[in-house]
Amino acid sequence: METQGGATATPRNQTVMHRSSRRSLGVELTSHFGCTPGQLTAIRTQTRREISKPRNLSELVDPEHLAALVKEEWRISYLTPMYQFKHTQLQSYSKRLAAFIVAEKQQGIGVEVGPEMGLKVVFSAVHGLAETEDDAEAVFIQIHSKSAAAEGEATKVVWSGWLCCVSGEVEYLRSLSTDFTCLPLFGASGAVSLTTTVMSWFERTFDCYFGPLGIDSTGLKWLAALWTGCHPDINIRYLKLSWTIPAQPPLDVSYTVHPQDAWELWNSIREVDGLGDTVGIEEVTYFMKGLEMHFFRHFRIYLSAGTLTKVTTALGSAHRDGKIRITSGDMMTSVLALLTECALLKMPI
Amino acid sequence: MSKKSDPSRLDMNYSSENDSLSSGRSDRSLRVAEKARKKNEAEDPFLLALKYFSQVEEGTPWKGNDVLEWHVAVVERVALSQGLSPEAISVLLDFALSSRMSSQQCVRILKILVPATVVPQDAIIQGVSWLCVGKMAMKTQVLFIRWVLTIFDLIDSKDQLRAIYGFIFSFVTEESLCPYICHLLYLLTRKESIRPYRVRKLLDLQVKMGKQPFLMHLLALYKVFSPELVALSFPSKMKGGFKNHNSTWKVALSAVQKRNNAGVLTDLRLNLSMRTQPNSKKRKFSHLTIPAVSSVPLRVSSSKALPLEQLRDFPHLLENLHRIELPAQMGSMLGSPLALHYIDCVRDNSAFLRLNFWLGHSLHEEFLFCREASSQNMAEATRFLNTLISTQRLLQEGFSSTEVFLYRFLRVWDGSLLRTQILGLLSDIAVVPSSRIKVVLFEPLMQLFFTSSLFFKCSVVECLNSMLLKWLTWHSVYALEDELDISVTSQTPQNMTLSGLMDSVVELVQFVGRIATVGLQLEGYHTLLLSFTLDFYETVCGMYLKYDLPLVLMPPAGVFYPALLATNPVSVDRLCQIMHRYRASLVSAKLQERQSQKPFHISRKTYREFNQYVVSMVNCLWNSRAFMPGMGIELAEDLLARSKVTECCSTFNLIHHPAFIGYAVDFHQKCWPERKELDLNSIKMGKCWDWYTEFLFSEGLWGLKEFVQSSLSHRTSSRVSGTDAR
Repeated sequence: METQGGATATPRNQTVMHRSSRRSLGVELTSHFGCTPGQLTAIRTQTRREISKPRNLSELVDPEHLAALVKEEWRISYLTPMYQFKHTQLQSYSKRLAAFIVAEKQQGIGVEVGPEMGLKVVFSAVHGLAETEDDAEAVFIQIHSKSAAAEGEATKVVWSGWLCCVSGEVEYLRSLSTDFTCLPLFGASGAVSLTTTVMSWFERTFDCYFGPLGIDSTGLKWLAALWTGCHPDINIRYLKLSWTIPAQPPLDVSYTVHPQDAWELWNSIREVDGLGDTVGIEEVTYFMKGLEMHFFRHFRIYLSAGTLTKVTTALGSAHRDGKIRITSGDMMTSVLALLTECALLKMPI
Repeated sequence: MSKKSDPSRLDMNYSSENDSLSSGRSDRSLRVAEKARKKNEAEDPFLLALKYFSQVEEGTPWKGNDVLEWHVAVVERVALSQGLSPEAISVLLDFALSSRMSSQQCVRILKILVPATVVPQDAIIQGVSWLCVGKMAMKTQVLFIRWVLTIFDLIDSKDQLRAIYGFIFSFVTEESLCPYICHLLYLLTRKESIRPYRVRKLLDLQVKMGKQPFLMHLLALYKVFSPELVALSFPSKMKGGFKNHNSTWKVALSAVQKRNNAGVLTDLRLNLSMRTQPNSKKRKFSHLTIPAVSSVPLRVSSSKALPLEQLRDFPHLLENLHRIELPAQMGSMLGSPLALHYIDCVRDNSAFLRLNFWLGHSLHEEFLFCREASSQNMAEATRFLNTLISTQRLLQEGFSSTEVFLYRFLRVWDGSLLRTQILGLLSDIAVVPSSRIKVVLFEPLMQLFFTSSLFFKCSVVECLNSMLLKWLTWHSVYALEDELDISVTSQTPQNMTLSGLMDSVVELVQFVGRIATVGLQLEGYHTLLLSFTLDFYETVCGMYLKYDLPLVLMPPAGVFYPALLATNPVSVDRLCQIMHRYRASLVSAKLQERQSQKPFHISRKTYREFNQYVVSMVNCLWNSRAFMPGMGIELAEDLLARSKVTECCSTFNLIHHPAFIGYAVDFHQKCWPERKELDLNSIKMGKCWDWYTEFLFSEGLWGLKEFVQSSLSHRTSSRVSGTDAR
């Protein structure tokens, strides 16, 4: 045991190193985030963000991936950084995950890793989604089943999911050592049992952990403003907001605003105290207050007493339970950046 | 057994020599030896029996064969009483497996093969080769393998057995042998024995035979070594281990071993018991499940690395400390006591980061993000937190993720949910820099403290006391390490400077002083809370002398006077003791300062405070000058008059103090048993006072005694004029 020999030679250095290793969470995490525990959330929540212009992603992202991304409704989760995840190993991950799923299904029966089974898993890297150089490349996963009836070429996608990090907080990403890959946002579409199996494979393989990611009302308001703001460039067709009012019996309110009206309201707020290229949380709050006031004038119901549950436009929808749909690639990066931020806020350290 | 084994070895040597030489020379000495041997042989029926079994011809009839019966009986007797020597095992095993007589005889012999010490590997190899010949009855084959499994730990070395792994493996296809062969393979498997075609064979067998536990266990082991070749999930209800040992052999074996006092057979248990028991009643979405230890599925590990789940016991851990492979999920280490010992040796930052991610995630999900809290998982939460606490205590350090979690949790905590555990975790946190200690710790705690019950107040003070103790211990350990210069390079867990640590300690002590003052007022100077507060100051007063932290901090008046005027003698006694220790610290500090070895400055104010307290104590307890000008508590004359207490100055001296009046009455009765009238003031007179104080000491008031002996310069009966802090 060489380390022991070293320890006897320089006991002090050894103990010092040892001590710092367990406590200091690796490199500089403590100094950046440990300083204000308890207030981590408050400090890391962004109160201003840049106005995002719609961007045509089809030139950057593989159209096949893009098509798959905009097709489904995704249930999103956050996950802690993955240990020893390598983008170069995606093929081998495909085989292992396939074997794992089969093995999980037939509890107790071993499965050889490698040969084709009734199931095919494809991992692929999605280029073009990452915004900064600190963002890891997104990963797209599809599970195809080869149904026994139609043997041969007929494969059906039974589950798909993706992991991504768009404009993740640079400071946080840099504080992680190179052993870790941070793709904090996970979307899944397909059978819940498969989602659970995939998650558990990731947890066992990369020592990362998943948790459900709900979108709080602030997040939903940001999304509403974000989508409304781009109406002049892309027609959002409608802005639909859903509330649950805690009345007896509970009251669900669905509130659809004409896109032009919504945009004009937003624009008027922006004109009053718009600060260049960024939008502040106050403006978003004013915007929502304006909409709520209008509703009150007509129906005498304070929407602010309830909870905002869903925001929908032609560009996509988001539910507070963590279900999202992005129907257009144009605003995809902005939405994913917002969700990445939500996911990073959930990180335990 | 040595007595037996030696002659038999002789016998074997001679017989082989005999074969080659008998026709040749007729040397005289040889003949003499031969004679002696024959004589010896004739005397020892066991050797005769061995000879018989080694030479018996194939096809010898066994029915009605009295010679055979006789020899079997002899061997049986020896085997069951002393066990068989390695040579005897070889001979008998060869006889049994070669099927020279009927298979019944073979079974009979196998059943009494109880080794005394070890079993030679060659004998097993030969046995396996007989197995390959294929003459043996299936029943005998099974019995042989079961015998090998039973005595496996006694086989002297296993390298050659591992070399013929392939031969042994080929028997898995025999349906009735398969369970036992799987077990044997399980015991022999090393990383290099795992080949893709073997994996495939076992998987084929599984398809044929279904979920057999023996196949599952062997495959699971293959997965441990080569997770890249095989995927396997254990069903939640899985019987642990192989059950192939023959209990009759085991009983005989342990009896023989016991008699021979041989420690060869230490443990027949299999390491499978290490496997974490699957929790069948697991909640569906529990975040508080410690994952099972499993090996790394992706990283190419060197063949020398030992997966953590292969560890058997502590000696095994020590032997392999240099080649242990961290598990795929660091969190799993918390579930295995053995692995915990290994954590201490881990030098890998990433490993701790992984552990912290898992731990933080579990805690956050369960206690902060989870919306519904059901009472049924309280037991689970308690168990988890207790595991965490005991882990942290074992490592003598709190995990950072626990700390981050606690800071967040304190803000939403109601003060009653899992109180013991939360406060336990809280007391483990590392030194908090003074710049943020107020925000993260004091503010939420203060809110809870003032709005909660007396018991919560006590537990908070207790928790802070234990926190302070740990900080001080850290400091004293590290100060010892860097013994040259404690003031500059002292390393505390967060690379904190000595002054940083001192700032935090000052903050903590002052905080407790504040909340204790107000808390005592709120709770009507409850004895319990006072006791916990004094516990805390017992730690504080020893900071300099006991923990080498150059700091002396006095308790606030709000703690000191309630203790001095407390109605129970224990509190006053403890206060005296605390004051005595303060004195010792200050005296020592003064001395140090004078000798200027370690220059540090204790402010005049501290000395002044201390002297003020001592003067108050002495005036109050001895000089009957309570509430007089110059004391800590002064009361206006008219106010005292309004209380209508006569001689209010003396109401708190050692005789009339509510804490001591019981003793005074007692003393009075003992001194003047004949007196009808109680005149406590007579205790003050002459020698009586000295006797009275002696009496108090003898009642167990040691603190008082220490205080008197150190702080009162002369113990004359009535007037003690001055005190000296130095």
